[in-house]
Amino acid sequence: MPETPMRSSPLMAPRGRFGGGRGAPGVTFRLRHPLSIVTVMARQGKGEAVAEALAPYTAQWAGPEQYFVVAEGGDESALYRQLKSALGGIASVVDQSHGRVVIRIEGPKSRNVLAKGTPVDLHTDEFPVGKSALTQMAHVGVHLTRAGEDAFDLSVFRGFAESFWEWITSQAEEFGYQVR
Amino acid sequence: MLIPCPHCGTRPVEEFTFLGDASVARPASNDPASMEQWFEYVYLRSNPKGRFDEYVQHSGGCRSWLVISRDTDSHEVFGCVMAKDYNRKRKGAKP
Amino acid sequence: MTSFRLAKGGLIDRNSALNFKFDGRSFTGHPGDTLASALIANGVHLMGRSFKYHRPRGVISAGASEPNALVELREGGAKEANTRATVIELYDGLAARSQNRWPSLDFDIGALNSLASSMFVAGFYYKTFMWPKSFWEKIYEPIIRKAAGLGTASREADPDKYEKSYAHCDMLVIGSGPTGLMAALAAARSGGRVILADEGSVLGGSLLFETEEIGGVAGYDWAQGVLAELGSMPNVTLLPRTTIFGWYDGNVFGAVERVNDHVLAPPPYEPRQRYWRIIAGHAVLAAGAEERPIVFGGNDIPGVMLASAMRVYANRYGAAAGQSVVVFTNNDSGYRTARNMLAHGVHVEAVVDSRPDAKAGAGSVQVLRGRMIAAVGGGKGVTGVELSGGTHIACGTVAMSGGWSPIVNLACQRGAKPKWDAAILGFVPPDVGPNFTAAGSAAGRMLLSECLADGATKGTLKGKAPAVPKCRDEAFAISPLWWVKESRGKAFVDYQNDSTAKDLPLAAREGYRDIELAKRYTTAGMATDQGKLGNVNAIAILAQATGRSMDQVGTTSFRPFYTPVAFGAFAGPFTGHHFQPVRKTPLHDWAEERGAVFVETGLWMRSSWFPKEGEGWLASASREVKATRGGVGICDVSTLGKIDIQGDDAGLFLDRLYCNTFSTLGLGKARYGLMLREDGIVFDDGTTSRLAEDHYVMTTTTANAAKVMAHVEFAHQVLWPELDVTYVSVTEQWAQMALAGPKSRATLRKIVDGLILSDETVPYLAAKEITILGGIPARLFRISFSGEHAYELAVPADYGNLVARALCQAGAEFGIVPYGVEALSIMRVEKGHVAGGELNGTVTAADLGLAKMMSAKKDYIGRMMAGREGLIDASRQCVVGIRPVDKADRIKSGAHILKIGDRPSMTNDQGYVSSVAWSPMLNMWIGLALVANGRARLGETVRVWDGLRGTDVAGEICDPVHFDRENRRLHA
Repeated sequence: MPETPMRSSPLMAPRGRFGGGRGAPGVTFRLRHPLSIVTVMARQGKGEAVAEALAPYTAQWAGPEQYFVVAEGGDESALYRQLKSALGGIASVVDQSHGRVVIRIEGPKSRNVLAKGTPVDLHTDEFPVGKSALTQMAHVGVHLTRAGEDAFDLSVFRGFAESFWEWITSQAEEFGYQVR
Repeated sequence: MLIPCPHCGTRPVEEFTFLGDASVARPASNDPASMEQWFEYVYLRSNPKGRFDEYVQHSGGCRSWLVISRDTDSHEVFGCVMAKDYNRKRKGAKP
Repeated sequence: MTSFRLAKGGLIDRNSALNFKFDGRSFTGHPGDTLASALIANGVHLMGRSFKYHRPRGVISAGASEPNALVELREGGAKEANTRATVIELYDGLAARSQNRWPSLDFDIGALNSLASSMFVAGFYYKTFMWPKSFWEKIYEPIIRKAAGLGTASREADPDKYEKSYAHCDMLVIGSGPTGLMAALAAARSGGRVILADEGSVLGGSLLFETEEIGGVAGYDWAQGVLAELGSMPNVTLLPRTTIFGWYDGNVFGAVERVNDHVLAPPPYEPRQRYWRIIAGHAVLAAGAEERPIVFGGNDIPGVMLASAMRVYANRYGAAAGQSVVVFTNNDSGYRTARNMLAHGVHVEAVVDSRPDAKAGAGSVQVLRGRMIAAVGGGKGVTGVELSGGTHIACGTVAMSGGWSPIVNLACQRGAKPKWDAAILGFVPPDVGPNFTAAGSAAGRMLLSECLADGATKGTLKGKAPAVPKCRDEAFAISPLWWVKESRGKAFVDYQNDSTAKDLPLAAREGYRDIELAKRYTTAGMATDQGKLGNVNAIAILAQATGRSMDQVGTTSFRPFYTPVAFGAFAGPFTGHHFQPVRKTPLHDWAEERGAVFVETGLWMRSSWFPKEGEGWLASASREVKATRGGVGICDVSTLGKIDIQGDDAGLFLDRLYCNTFSTLGLGKARYGLMLREDGIVFDDGTTSRLAEDHYVMTTTTANAAKVMAHVEFAHQVLWPELDVTYVSVTEQWAQMALAGPKSRATLRKIVDGLILSDETVPYLAAKEITILGGIPARLFRISFSGEHAYELAVPADYGNLVARALCQAGAEFGIVPYGVEALSIMRVEKGHVAGGELNGTVTAADLGLAKMMSAKKDYIGRMMAGREGLIDASRQCVVGIRPVDKADRIKSGAHILKIGDRPSMTNDQGYVSSVAWSPMLNMWIGLALVANGRARLGETVRVWDGLRGTDVAGEICDPVHFDRENRRLHA
């Protein structure tokens, strides 16, 4: 198969340091692109089998018996094809790599920034590393995953990416933010 | 108002979409004689003061259709379950 | 100007001076001052004019309850009316203006109302402006509106930033006085996540001005120690300048934090205010108690203030309200003011105590027991008081204390009523459950030791409550005194609304005995302060007038907001173009390059037309149609809803969702589907394709995409959970473009990989997964909305712009044009395809001429109700074409259809025009209409009457397909 052309980014985010404060930025934003994102939905009665089959993958909870399997790098559709053959008959597998945009927010003020949008309690006891939630921020549906103590992934539908970016960066302005 | 979504935990009402009375059940028959039941299913809804079971979708979260049981007067929430579990239990209760 | 700044004391920074202006005059104050304290220190008591009588008014309180000293703050878009001078923190450059006066605060023409005051008693407006009726709208109302209201709102956009934020805690403590500090300490030490919020600029509450000791040190110092401990704990959040304004279901509290109201302008990037939603496991109401005024003649003359306020100004701000004071009280706490003022070197002329048997004293100050103030002398300032029985005492200020009202508001906002406590003469909070409890003086505890202990108990989340520090209690006793009946001159109950002691009995006499009615009739308890000071006196006077007890009269309803909240705080960052999010399609950049004009469709930005230099929308759209029908056009249809449906029962599920059948659809085939609502009315339409035995992809209209998704979810999870089916929106995964026109195939051929496009390989209604441009995965559908030989091509969104550009390049030799939704709409009207104008929530499948699609072999949503008599009536309005008889005429959407010769009336109405378009192919205006029994009336000439826009033309009812009726182009 010939080499596929480059995927173009859905979001043009100029790099640099923005907002207030002179010292280290309160948060850092990074667009995770390109990314492979595959929705896996268990078929009737196959919830446990699917959870088991997904053990080797980075699978994020995305609703009852539903997951986002996420991978960096890789060819177009490679993860999708792999999962489709691995989960044949027990799950529906749908490629969403282009449909969602994932923004990584990191830094000491990341929780403060997110609290401006989501009602989810982000305290480590309630929302530990690896946990995901589906919520709304600034009227946009967000799939939120804690990637580290101070790091979160925000996955939004592609069409909202620009609007969401404008909102979340303005919420981070008071702390100063870096775009990588 | 906070709603305890069985999948997402407690979330504010803004994340949910209400449909209303969960006591209605879609008739199984397409027989013209069942028209009265269809009419009730499509149009008749209770709106009681007090305890009430309602269909609600966690539209701003996991998108599950749920049934919330709450008091429309005091706003006390008694519970919230998956709609399919609610209906399964209801069908089981009424043989 | 005499300085009323005391020589020492207070929590102000005397080493630096702040310059500010009030009504254009320049003053100085100190950091730590409020606008009110700085004005008082400058000898200014006159701060406003009253609402109705325009009486000169001074500051009454030292906090949130202030009814009189309301000023306009800041300029331009940042202007804020009706702000309380008592809570405005002083900053350098502050500029405030008094309100409700003309031409000046000192000389206000409106004060003439006071001379005619007998006219302005309660109910005056209702009685006077009744007649003649025609005068109301044009004469009375505009005059009243002009005279009414206090400050004026700015008409400019607010330049400042506002924010919203959520917070979660195990314990929210509201108020940071002795009770609140103990509660917060107890909660924090038991390990919970604690938020301590206080409306004040500095935490400490009453400890910032009362002089009692706690734990052997000054109360203020004890507070500093507790705050230092709380501040050092990671589980504690301190929120000064934060008003908890509402208590909502689920123990959610609304709060507004004044982040930058205390500076001239918010620093760059910082918000002015932050609106908090605090989700609290438990909360303690430690908001304290509000001192009440006493109702007596002249109790509103500038210089008459609450006894506690006078202490606040002296002890916290180092400002003397005057050089000589008379204290008027019905309880022991008034004596504190006498003692404190004496200690500051202010002359205290007397304590007038209404209780003949009062035991309290204030050192050397003379105490006149069993006496009352009947009148206050003075106009814009106090000159003296006259006691009942005739004694005159000269003085510059009056400190009054009518007792204390626990600040119960938050606990009563969800409907529970407070209860009257005859021992303290105040309404105390009701029991509202274990998760929100009142403590300290907010719960009616009048002794400091009780407050500390109560805070410690109520704040403890688990384990033992912390030890309570020792303190010396000051006795508290009180006897009822609401209204001095011997009063001379006006005696005010509600300062802000100019309600007097006489208004309430009048309301009762006229039948407004219920407190809620009396409030509306007298206006007592309305407006920005919501009767924080006046309500209990009003209730008491009404109780006396009607021979009822306090509990029998009861309070009015307590509702959010405790104090006024700026609209900006509620709007937060969602203003202007951030009001709602914008959705952009994956082809947005491509469309922009091509000069698209965008239109908002729901949240989406869709390319509407692609004008060339100098073209208007119609010229552009017409050219796009002609070029498409003459060669090839490309259109962004990515906004159509796309739902991926999989599972062993996917076909069966679709059969139940659509009125037609999908389980029989061949692999690699697309089919038009019509979805009904359960009531039998058409819900949505679109094309659904079968990609594999157990895999379909559904398309919906752009407008209904979200609704259909929720409908699909409902159908499975609620109606048929036993089906093996999954569904997920893939709208955003795919960039989808329509390629239409006789040259569409030739264009497409150039970009597909290894597939020979022909009617055999890709026949009409084929749906195929292919690759293009050397490996890009794509879905190719041979479907047509334009009536041309056409395709829809979907590619993963990141490739959208690239593919659209490649198609434009490939089609260049055929004169390819991008076309927008305008051209799309013209072509669909030409072809008689229905869209939003027709799928309007009232039509059935039969109305659309699609009755044949309704399967009789299966159950589906809407089947039964669609069969109802009224929905199959032959005389129903159904979709037909409409065109002007004279091709030069224009018909407009919304115009009504009438029989020739009929007058426009509801009875004669035959239907209306639902969609129109200028057809560049037919060179005339054409349309679709919903017409009664329309299909039987093809060829009939009718009136197309548009009363709204004043047109009336002859039209002909025709087949909805205006162009290429034989569908030759589709298969060309």
